[in-house]
Amino acid sequence: MEQVLFKYIDDPEQHKIERYIENGGYQALAKVFKDYKPNEVIDLVKSSGLRGRGGAGFPAGLKWSFVPKNSPKPKYLCCNADESEPGTCKDRVLMERDPHMMLEGIIICCYAINAHHAFVYIRGEFVFPAKRVEEAVEAAYAKGYLGKNIMGSGFDLDIIVHTGGGAYICGEETALLSSLEGDRGLSRIRPPFPAISGLYDSPTVINNVETLASLPSIFNNGVDWYRSHGTEKSPGTKVFSLSGNVKKPGNYEIELGTPLSYVINDLGGGMEDEQYKLKAIIPGGSSTPLLMPDQIDTPLDYESIAEAGSMLGSGAIIVIDERACMVWVAMKLINFYQHESCGKCTPCREGTAWLKQIINRIERGEGQNGDIDLIIDVCGNIMGRTICPLGDAAVMPTESIIKHFRHEFEYHIEHKKCQVKTDYPF
Amino acid sequence: MSGNGNEKEQITLTIDGQELTVDKGTNVLEAAAQIGIEIPYFCWHPKLDSVGACRMCLVDVEKIPKPAVSCATEVMPGMVVKTATDEIIKARRGVLEFILLNHPLDCPTCDKGGECDLQDNVFNFGIDKSRQTFTRKRVIDTQTKTTFDDKRIGPEVWRNMNRCVTCFKCTRFNKEIAGEWDLGAFQRGSSTVIDAPPGEQIDNLYSGNVVEICPVGALTNNDWRYKIRNWKATKADSICSHDADGQNITLWYDHRQLFRATSRPNDAIDDGWICNIARYGYQYINSPDRLTKPLIKKGGTQVEATWPEAIELIAKKFSKIKGDKGSVCIAGLLGGNQSNETAYLFNQLFRSVLHSNSVDYRLEYTGLTDGEHSEAYNCLYDAPFQISSLETADCVLIYGSNLIKDHPAVNLRLRKAYRKNDAKVYTANPVETKSGDISTDELIYNPDCGTAFLVALTHALIDGKLYKNIDEAKAAEIKSLLEPSNLNEAATRCGIEVDRINYLASDLAGAKNLFILGGDYLRASSDRSRQANALYNLANLLDIPDSNSAILASQANSKGARFLGLSPQLPAKLAKTLADKWGTTLPESTGCNTSEILKGALEEEIDAVFVMGANPGMRYPDGPFVDAALDKLDFLVVADLFETATSLKADVVLPLAGWSEADGSYVNLSGMYQKFSRALKPKAGIKAGTEILQLLMTAIDPQLKFDLSSLSQNTRDVIDSWAIPQRDKEKFFPVKQAHIVDHEAFPYRLLIGNDLHHYGYLTEHCPSLMKFASEPYVELSTQLAEKLGIDDGDLLRIESTSGKLVLKSKISEFFEGDVIFIPNNFSAVDVNCLVSKETGGWVKIEKLDDK
Ligand SMILES: Cc1cc2nc3c(=O)[nH]c(=O)nc-3n(C[C@H](O)[C@H](O)[C@H](O)COP(=O)(O)O)c2cc1C
Ligand code: SF4
Ligand code: SF4
Ligand code: FES
Repeated sequence: MEQVLFKYIDDPEQHKIERYIENGGYQALAKVFKDYKPNEVIDLVKSSGLRGRGGAGFPAGLKWSFVPKNSPKPKYLCCNADESEPGTCKDRVLMERDPHMMLEGIIICCYAINAHHAFVYIRGEFVFPAKRVEEAVEAAYAKGYLGKNIMGSGFDLDIIVHTGGGAYICGEETALLSSLEGDRGLSRIRPPFPAISGLYDSPTVINNVETLASLPSIFNNGVDWYRSHGTEKSPGTKVFSLSGNVKKPGNYEIELGTPLSYVINDLGGGMEDEQYKLKAIIPGGSSTPLLMPDQIDTPLDYESIAEAGSMLGSGAIIVIDERACMVWVAMKLINFYQHESCGKCTPCREGTAWLKQIINRIERGEGQNGDIDLIIDVCGNIMGRTICPLGDAAVMPTESIIKHFRHEFEYHIEHKKCQVKTDYPF
Repeated sequence: MSGNGNEKEQITLTIDGQELTVDKGTNVLEAAAQIGIEIPYFCWHPKLDSVGACRMCLVDVEKIPKPAVSCATEVMPGMVVKTATDEIIKARRGVLEFILLNHPLDCPTCDKGGECDLQDNVFNFGIDKSRQTFTRKRVIDTQTKTTFDDKRIGPEVWRNMNRCVTCFKCTRFNKEIAGEWDLGAFQRGSSTVIDAPPGEQIDNLYSGNVVEICPVGALTNNDWRYKIRNWKATKADSICSHDADGQNITLWYDHRQLFRATSRPNDAIDDGWICNIARYGYQYINSPDRLTKPLIKKGGTQVEATWPEAIELIAKKFSKIKGDKGSVCIAGLLGGNQSNETAYLFNQLFRSVLHSNSVDYRLEYTGLTDGEHSEAYNCLYDAPFQISSLETADCVLIYGSNLIKDHPAVNLRLRKAYRKNDAKVYTANPVETKSGDISTDELIYNPDCGTAFLVALTHALIDGKLYKNIDEAKAAEIKSLLEPSNLNEAATRCGIEVDRINYLASDLAGAKNLFILGGDYLRASSDRSRQANALYNLANLLDIPDSNSAILASQANSKGARFLGLSPQLPAKLAKTLADKWGTTLPESTGCNTSEILKGALEEEIDAVFVMGANPGMRYPDGPFVDAALDKLDFLVVADLFETATSLKADVVLPLAGWSEADGSYVNLSGMYQKFSRALKPKAGIKAGTEILQLLMTAIDPQLKFDLSSLSQNTRDVIDSWAIPQRDKEKFFPVKQAHIVDHEAFPYRLLIGNDLHHYGYLTEHCPSLMKFASEPYVELSTQLAEKLGIDDGDLLRIESTSGKLVLKSKISEFFEGDVIFIPNNFSAVDVNCLVSKETGGWVKIEKLDDK
C-alpha cells in the first residue's frame, strides 16, 4: 500500500531539514507560492476532499473558506498537536520523525488563509516531539522557510511552539484557544466559531497535525492523484494507531476504505493470543462506540464506520479480547473522562463524576439494582447537552458497552464479581 | 442613547406560540422574559458575557438539532422557540439533579436562603426526589479532604464550595468588569474550586459584588453572615454617602441596626456594581462609638448636657457675637455628605438668620487664599457629564485622578468603554494608578507639574495643527498665552517625552467621541484653577461637547451644596431665589471661603464657627494652620456622629444623625438629583441635621415660621434653578506652570488622599472596611524602597518643615519614582501636620532602626 505520510518515516535523518529537502521537501510550498493565489489553494484543498484528522473529519478546505477575507483583524492558524485521545499516537510520530512535513503544511495553510502567525500547541508530555518541532522551526527560519518574505514570495510567517500543561481537554479546539491565551483550558460555546472569532477574538483555523502534514503531498502530486487513494467521500490515506490485544500494535498508514480486518489481521498480525477470541473493537479512539466481532470487515472510512454505528474519530483502533471484563473497560473509560472534564458545564462536570461513582461501585461488587438504567438515564442527560463534545465522548462508549454487554453488568450486580474469569493483561 | 437615529433593528420571532418583536442582539432568554416566560438560569447575567456554562436555560429552537442555550442564542427573524417541551423539561430536571448531587442542602442555615436561584429553580422546575445515593461532598483538596468547610478567601468574603454551582459569575465579574486577578477557578472538573490565588486574598475594591452576584450561598460576607434571615429585614432605597458617584444601594435593617447594603442597579450610574465603600460604608451608622448626648465645654472639659441647654447656649452665643461684633464674625462649614435638605437649612441659618455670607462646603482644598475658583474651573465642575455616556467613548484622557479611588463607578465605566468599545485610554497623573493596565499610555508628570503637561499637550495640538474650529492666527495667539512657551520646554518641565505627548495629541484629535476628565489630584492641587484653564482650552481646541469634559466632584453631595449656594459668593439669580424662599434680604457683606474663615479665626476676625458633619481638624490639608485657627476661636460648635479632632476643640458638640437616619437627597457628580429614604431612626439623643438647624433658627429668631413639609420641594426648586454655565467656545485662558516650592532638603513629594478602601473620616468606623486597611501607612515605590534600604513594614520617620510622623512602610509595586502616599482616613495620625503652604508637600524620609 502506498505510503504517503510515512514514506520516509523510517529514515533516521528525515527530521533534519537537509534530508527533508533532499527527499523533495518544501517543493510543494515553492509550487504554491509560484502557481497559486491564496483562494486557489483553498479551492484545491476543497476539491482534494481532505478531511480533518483530529477526530471530527471536517473538510479542511471548507473550514478555511469560512475565514473572512475582509476582516481587519489578524488571522491565526493553530496546529493541534495536543494528541491525548486514548489509543492515539500518530501525531507524535509525525512530529518526531518528519516535522518538516507538518511545517510545510502549516505554511501552505497560513498562505491560504492569510495568517502571519501560527501556533503549534503540543501536548505537555510530548517533550521529545516538542524538541524536534522546535529544532525544525529553527532550521526552517535559518533556511528562509519561515520569517519575512519566505522564498522571495513576499509572504511572512512566524511560528510559535507552545507546550500545554497536559490536559486532554486542551485538544478540544476552543479549550486550546483559551489555554493558548493564557486562560484556564475551558471550552467555549459556539457560535462564534473559531474561523470567525477564535484566538484573541480573531479569525482562527485549527487543524490537526496529520491534516496539515497531508497538504504537501496533495500539492506535489495533484488532486487526481490524491483522490485516487481512499474512497469517494473519504479520499486519501490516514495513519491508524493500532493497540490492544494484537500481535503487532503500532501506527499504520492505509488508504481510507481499507477493511478493519486488514489492519488487525494483516498489519497487526492478528489477535495477541489466538486462544482468546475477539470481543470488541474501539475503532476511532476511546470516545467512539464499540464495533462487534462480526463488524470486523467494515471499511475504515468515515461513512462506513458511521453506518456501522461508530466513528472513525482520530483513528485509534483498540482491540479487546474476551479476557476483558467490559465493566472494567467502562470503568477505565469513565474514570478517564471524569478526570479530564474541564468542569465548565454542569452535565459533563457532574454527570461524569456521578457515572464514575456508579460504575466504580458496580465494578467493586457494590452495584445496586437499577444502576444500569440509572447509568443510561444519566447518559441521556449528558448527551447533546454540553458545551463541547467531551460530554458526548464520555457517554458514547459507556452507552455502547452497556448496549452490547448489559449482561456483564447484571452479572456484576447480582454476583458481586466479574463474569470474566481470566486475568486481563492490562 | 441620544436620538441620533440609530434605532435598533427589530426582530420578530415566536416563543411558545406567542409572536413578539424585540431589539436585534437580544438573546432568547431575555426575549422570553419580555413576554413573561421565565427560563431558569444560573450563569447568565445581563452585564456579563454569556458563557453557556450551567445549561439550565436550554430551550428547543426549530432547525437547531440539539437543545440550545437561550442565554447565548441571539434572536433571529422567524425563529420558533419552545421553552417547555418534554425534552427540555427533562433536560432542566437533569441539570438540577446534577447540581444537587453534592449540594449540602443546608438551606436552613444558609444566608442565601430565600433569595437563592437554586432554591427557586428547584422549586419551579426541579424534581423532589434525588437518585443520588452517595455522600454529598465535593472533595476540593484530596490531601486535606476539605469538603464542607467554609474558607475565608478575602477580608470580607467566605466561600463554601459545596454550595457552588460553578457558574463562574464571580470570577467573570472579577476579571471582565473589575479587571482584577485576585479570584479564580482552580483544579478541574468536579473538583473545580473558586479561590484566591495561593498566598493572596480577594480584596479588590469591588470584591463585594462577587457575594451579591453568586446565585447561591457559596460566597457570603462577614457583614451579613448568620445575622438575620433576609425576609425578616426591611429595605430602604438609598444612595452611597461617601464619594460623588451616587451609587444606588438598598439598605437592609430591622429595629436594631442596619445589616447590609446591596446594589440597587441604576444603569445611568453604577450598572448594578457597587464598590466596597458603598457596600460596607453604611456601617458607621451602627457604630457603638456614636455620640449620643450633646456636650458643653465647662472649665476646659466637655461635659454631657441636654439638647435644650445646648441649643440655648448656641443661640445665645451666636446672637451675642452678632450683636456685639457683627454677623461677619460668624461662619459655617458644612460637610460634603450632608443632604440637600440639611444644606438648605444651614444656608438659611447663616445667610438669613445670622446674616453672614461666610459659609462653605469645600473643606478639602489647599490654598483657597488665592481667591475663588476660576471661571474655567467652575464651568468644568458644573459640566453635565453623565457616567453612562463614558461607555460610548472611543478615547478618554483621565487627567489628575486616581480614578478607582476617586470615582469607583466612573472607573468601571472607563473599563467598560475599553472592553466593549475598544476605547483608547490615556492617563496622566503624578503617580501610577490602577487604570494603567488599560491605558494606551500611562503618563506620569513630575510632582506639581501637571500644568506643564497640559501646556505641553496644548502646544502639541497647535504645533501639529490638530485643533478644530480656529484659524492659524488664533492658534498663534493661544500659544502666546502659554508658559512654558514651547513644547520642548513644557515637556522637559513635566518630565514626559515630546514623542509621547505628540502621540497623545494626535489620538485626542482623531477621536470621534473624546472625553477629558479631571479628578482628585487636580482638585487637591493649589494650582487647580490654572489646570482648569488649561483643560478648558483643550476642550475648545478639540471642540468637544460640554458634557465630555469635566472636573469630577468629590463628595456625595458636594454638587448639591454648590447648587444650593453653600459657598460665599452667590450668583445673582440664586441669591434672588433664596431671598424669595426665605422672605428675607441677604447680607451684602462679602463672605469668606474655608481658608479665609480659618485665616479670619487665626487673626481673630472671626469668633464663632459652626462645623456640621465635617472634620477640618483632621482633613484640612494644612495641619498647623487649621489647628491654630480652631484653637483661636472664641466659640466652636461641632455637630457630628463621632468625636473628632475638630469636635475635641469644640465648645458645644451636637450628636448628629447619619445620612440613613433621615429622608433626604443628594446631587451626584453628574448633577443627578437622587432621593434616599430613611432606614432606621436615630437612637435617642441623636438628631437629624434638619431638626438641629430648625431648633437653632427658632431659638435665635422665635418669630421664624417653618413649614418642613415643603422643605424637600424648596430644596429641589433651588437646585433646579442652578444655571449650568456653558463653555464659551471662543474663549481661551492664559496658562502658566506655577513655581514649585523650594524643597532642597526635602526630596520626596508627599501625596495625601484616600486609602483604596476608605473615603473621608467616617469609614474608619466601618469594621468591614477596616479589615482591608486598619491603620495609616506610608506607601512608596519599590525603587525608592530599594534606594533607601526599606522593607515592607519598616518604621519610617517622615518629616517636613512643619512636622514629623512615624509610620509603617508599605511597598507598592504600583508606584514608581520618588512620590510617596499617606492616607488621611485614620484619626490616629495627623497626616496633615506634614503639609503647609511653606512645605508644599515635600518631605524627607528616615528609616528607624527598631521596629
Ligand atoms: C475532548 C476533545 C479532545 C480533542 N483532542 C484533540 C487532539 O488532541 N488533537 C486534535 O487534533 N484534535 C482534537 N480534538 C478535535 C479538535 O477539537 C478539532 O476538531 C480538531 O483539532 C480540528 O482539526 P482537524 O479538522 O484537522 O481534525 C478534540 C476534541 C475534543 C472534543
Ligand atoms: S463538556 Fe465537559 S469538557 Fe466540555 S465544556 Fe463541558 S465540562 Fe468542559
Ligand atoms: S462561588 Fe457562586 S458565583 Fe462563583 S462559581 Fe460558585 S456559584 Fe457561581
Ligand atoms: S444560563 Fe444559559 S447556560 Fe447558564
